[in-house]
Amino acid sequence: MTTARSIGALALTLALAASTAAAQFPTTPPPAAPLKPTKLPPLHETTLPNGVRLVVVESHKLPVIALTLGMRAGDFTDPAGKEGLAQLTATLLGKGAGSRTAEQVSAAIEGAGGSLGAGTSADALTVNASALSDKAALAFELLGDAVARPTFDQKEVDLAKTQTLSSLQLQNSQPSTVAQRVFNRELYGTTAYAKSATPASVGAITRDDILGFYASRVKPRGAVLVVSGDIDLPTATRLANAALKGWTGAPAAVPALGAPRKRTKTEIVLVHRPSSVQANVIVGAPTFAGTDPRTYALLVANRVLGGGSASRLFRILREEKSWTYGSYSSFSWNRGVGAFGATVEARNAVVDSALVELLAQLRRLRTEPIPATEFAGARDAIVGSFPLAVETAQQLGGTIARARLLGFPADYVSMYRTRVAAITPARAQAVAKQVIDPDAALVVVVGDATVLRDRLAKIAPVRVVRPDGQPVAESDLAGPKAGSGIDVSKLVAAHDSFAVLVQGNPFGSSVRTVEKTADGVRISERSVLGPIMSQNTDVVIGTDGAMKSVAQRGTVQGMETKIDAAYAGGRVKGAATTVSQAGPRSVSYDTTVVAGTIDDNAVTTVIPTLAWSLNATFTLPVFASGEGVARTVTLKVTGKQSVTVPAGTFDAYLVEMSGGPVPVNIYVTTAAPYRVVKTAPVGPPIELVLVK
Amino acid sequence: MARSIRTRSAPSLLRPLVAALLAALPATALPAQKPARLPLDNYTLPNGLQVILAEDHTAPVVAVDVTYHVGSRDESPGRTGFAHLFEHMMFQGSAHVKKGEHMAMLEAAGSAGYNGSTIEDRTNYYEPLPSNRLNLGLWLEADRMRSLAVTDENFSNQREAVKEERRLRVDNQPYTKILYEEGYKAIDSAGCYPYSHSIIGSMDDLNAATTADVQQFFKLYYAPNNATLVVTGDFQPAEAKKLIAQYFGDIPRAPTPPAVSCQPRYDAGARRERVQDTKATLPAVMKYYTIPAYDSPDYPALELLGTIVGRGASSRLNRSLAREQKVALTSQTFVNLFGPRRGPGAFVVFAIANKGIAIDTVEARLDDQIAKLAGGITDEELARAKSSWRASAIRERSQAVTLAAAIQRANLFLGDPNSLDADFDRYAAVTADDVKRVAAKYLHPENSYTFIDSAEAK
Repeated sequence: MTTARSIGALALTLALAASTAAAQFPTTPPPAAPLKPTKLPPLHETTLPNGVRLVVVESHKLPVIALTLGMRAGDFTDPAGKEGLAQLTATLLGKGAGSRTAEQVSAAIEGAGGSLGAGTSADALTVNASALSDKAALAFELLGDAVARPTFDQKEVDLAKTQTLSSLQLQNSQPSTVAQRVFNRELYGTTAYAKSATPASVGAITRDDILGFYASRVKPRGAVLVVSGDIDLPTATRLANAALKGWTGAPAAVPALGAPRKRTKTEIVLVHRPSSVQANVIVGAPTFAGTDPRTYALLVANRVLGGGSASRLFRILREEKSWTYGSYSSFSWNRGVGAFGATVEARNAVVDSALVELLAQLRRLRTEPIPATEFAGARDAIVGSFPLAVETAQQLGGTIARARLLGFPADYVSMYRTRVAAITPARAQAVAKQVIDPDAALVVVVGDATVLRDRLAKIAPVRVVRPDGQPVAESDLAGPKAGSGIDVSKLVAAHDSFAVLVQGNPFGSSVRTVEKTADGVRISERSVLGPIMSQNTDVVIGTDGAMKSVAQRGTVQGMETKIDAAYAGGRVKGAATTVSQAGPRSVSYDTTVVAGTIDDNAVTTVIPTLAWSLNATFTLPVFASGEGVARTVTLKVTGKQSVTVPAGTFDAYLVEMSGGPVPVNIYVTTAAPYRVVKTAPVGPPIELVLVK
Repeated sequence: MARSIRTRSAPSLLRPLVAALLAALPATALPAQKPARLPLDNYTLPNGLQVILAEDHTAPVVAVDVTYHVGSRDESPGRTGFAHLFEHMMFQGSAHVKKGEHMAMLEAAGSAGYNGSTIEDRTNYYEPLPSNRLNLGLWLEADRMRSLAVTDENFSNQREAVKEERRLRVDNQPYTKILYEEGYKAIDSAGCYPYSHSIIGSMDDLNAATTADVQQFFKLYYAPNNATLVVTGDFQPAEAKKLIAQYFGDIPRAPTPPAVSCQPRYDAGARRERVQDTKATLPAVMKYYTIPAYDSPDYPALELLGTIVGRGASSRLNRSLAREQKVALTSQTFVNLFGPRRGPGAFVVFAIANKGIAIDTVEARLDDQIAKLAGGITDEELARAKSSWRASAIRERSQAVTLAAAIQRANLFLGDPNSLDADFDRYAAVTADDVKRVAAKYLHPENSYTFIDSAEAK
């Protein structure tokens, strides 16, 4: 029943409800208040007498300070063959400087509640220090000693090299690092930004190289020192001048950066990582210098595509498709040409789908106009979040240091938001079109090639490589299978004498003769090891490179040994008696072997027939005729060095042979015809050195 | 700056005595630099939601941090990985926020570095924002606390994302199999299941989780009376309080979640295990020693011990194993890998062998260093560790979002957000004898679990 009175009561109730509604939970997001201006702490600048530009970001909120000293001496300045030199020099700056040893430096800075470190990027070498502000003078002094008075003690050089080599090995276990490294090398080709350290290039660096690099590149002119935190300009200037006293001069001219070639079609470089359960994917292309005016437009386009968790890649590949934990895109800001890259990590079963979708999203950015709301969201994200990027004095100091080293003008920080806010959807798309092209992209995939290769090949041509960039042999992708035998044409007649050294003392000899006969090659080896052992071995290889026979007669500590093995028609038949620590042991066998199998007594004979180079790896199917077992032996070049033996001094590759009973280091001349100049098992103090 | 420095002066009669004492003390005992006292406004809404405000107008930014007092320790057998899986669900939308909109709204508002994280004891959600969008951060947190969208579709999607996360962090990385998973075995599971299983959970348990489980979990643990809201940075307190009351005030409270039971032991015996790792290229050794909860009086000494033994270039492990003996590429300590705990934790000593060095050699040298602690530590080492601790405690106040996390830590693990200030005195009071004592008490073989990572990758 509706009466005038009840209507009045209802109206009153409604009015009350309306008035309390203001205090209830709103069903739509609350509106934004006006954005506040970025509030920056005072910035002060001056140039020190030695040419260092000093910038002070003054903030007394907390009793801490941070220092960053940077100069244009990044990895791009590494000399060819000595990649890793800039990084190694940086690492050593604080490892013994002024009157302090490395131990004293680290104890001093950590006692001040801080740290001291140095490193390199593609463009710059930077030294960083931090401390509680009542220890500001000490932080300046340690940073000054590091750049102006490093000692580069030989012991520290050796340690840093050892640790760098182990780090390179460790990096090989981290798929994202491998992906980034291969991407860089493939993208930048032969230009300066392609440089990356390898075991061989680090191994080749000497203390003199480091002294030379330091003397020519670690110089104050053109360097920037940014000091942030609880300090003022006069104090910073006084402390910097005192700390950098005696550090003067200008750096040598830097090498040209060059521009990488643009691809004309998409190629997939598949880095084989056996047993990977997931694959890391990077799709990218070269861009332009960081200071290029197009940078701001690319920033917004990238945000639309993959710059955040609200961007297309994350939304589609993770939130819609459940293919990945994360998919993003970004681009590097370099002094020279930068790189754009979109990434996804996906389980093996969906890698191909994820890549196809990622490429489709790159295409969509080129072909479809960016919807207005989506564009505004991307642009506002960058403009709005800027205060968070420079919230602390240390963050602002870091931003300024990076901008100065990249060559940005002084108004970079103050104008950043204005420049981003000025970008239009059309401009963002136009720049994206210049850079991002799914039909001319570099795709790097790190994963198990035995699982992924055929599926990826349906998307674009695939090249399978190892983490170091070298091609992968077919045999590695299908497990050990047929080898190709021995290239007999590369076996030349020779007569080599070796001395056997035990703990450096001559203990015996070994003479090897290679002679060509009508039906192939005969290799004879006569070895005598003091009174302990003597052994004659004859190996015959056919003209087609296939093993024919092995015959060995000898005595070991008075006990007779012998091997007789015949290879034919994919089988080996034979018998052997050998002596081990447990006493004599006899075996007989008649078994199949894969084509191209080499008898283990002939492995060193094969060496001259292989195509040696730095980073070369060969995998050989081997039959140990003394034990009657098949093995897979790997010969891997791990470095290059000068080796002195009685026959002379040779430039030689260090080849690590593994897969046999003990690992063996073999030194092979770098020039053809390749000769073995020294052989040493890892562990026992025994060496075979070439006499003539 | 809103903060004022309040100094308490000693009564006048005592002043000469204080001055004399100060003069008599060596220079190192002078009061160490510490930040200004942090004024906090700590109150509780009628529905049980604890609110802590810390105002600071240095930069035009704010941070919102909602910490739910639930983590992997609340999981039961067969349900491992659930707390973390649930964290993912919190980004999937709620009554007034469609799927995908949560992140889109935050990013368009200029939030950067927003996220959630799950550890043994808590799950937190935080968003740094430009200060004009505090209202959005609070609104989004309130909407998901009151009305999370738990649908089959969202759930199966996030379960897949978590499985990818597991592959990314654990199954496809070197060493993480031990750090993320096997290492939990060091805590005796018979007496303390809550801290003896991993946060990331097993694939089987993740597969077995159902949408109904998720709904149940939400009802039980994601209630205002099981959470703390911290707001830091550039806001006006009256306005913030009004918004908080309006957005969170009428969310109903839930029954108190079941208590967690744990009887830690520190003498479970010397255990060891070899873990096959097809992703590692260099072998490693990790030794786990069980240690007490964060609020234990022994904890500050243990944390300083961790620094002295294995954090920083001047630490004992770096000086001996990496530099002098050259057996380790890196060697360091972790005192609880993912953060503090309200139950037993792990003091982890970790070393990766240098290329060509046998892992047995590395382990022997590591044991030498642990044994040497019986001889005590030097005053210089202690002073250095305290400086490092102090500097990091100061630095975590430099950003609104890290300050918010620090307040939550003090509040949850020490039971009082003001203990953030009091900690400066707690750590300053640790003596060299304290450090020697805790080393002897916890770092002994009968309280250890050794893992050898086999490094099988080529």
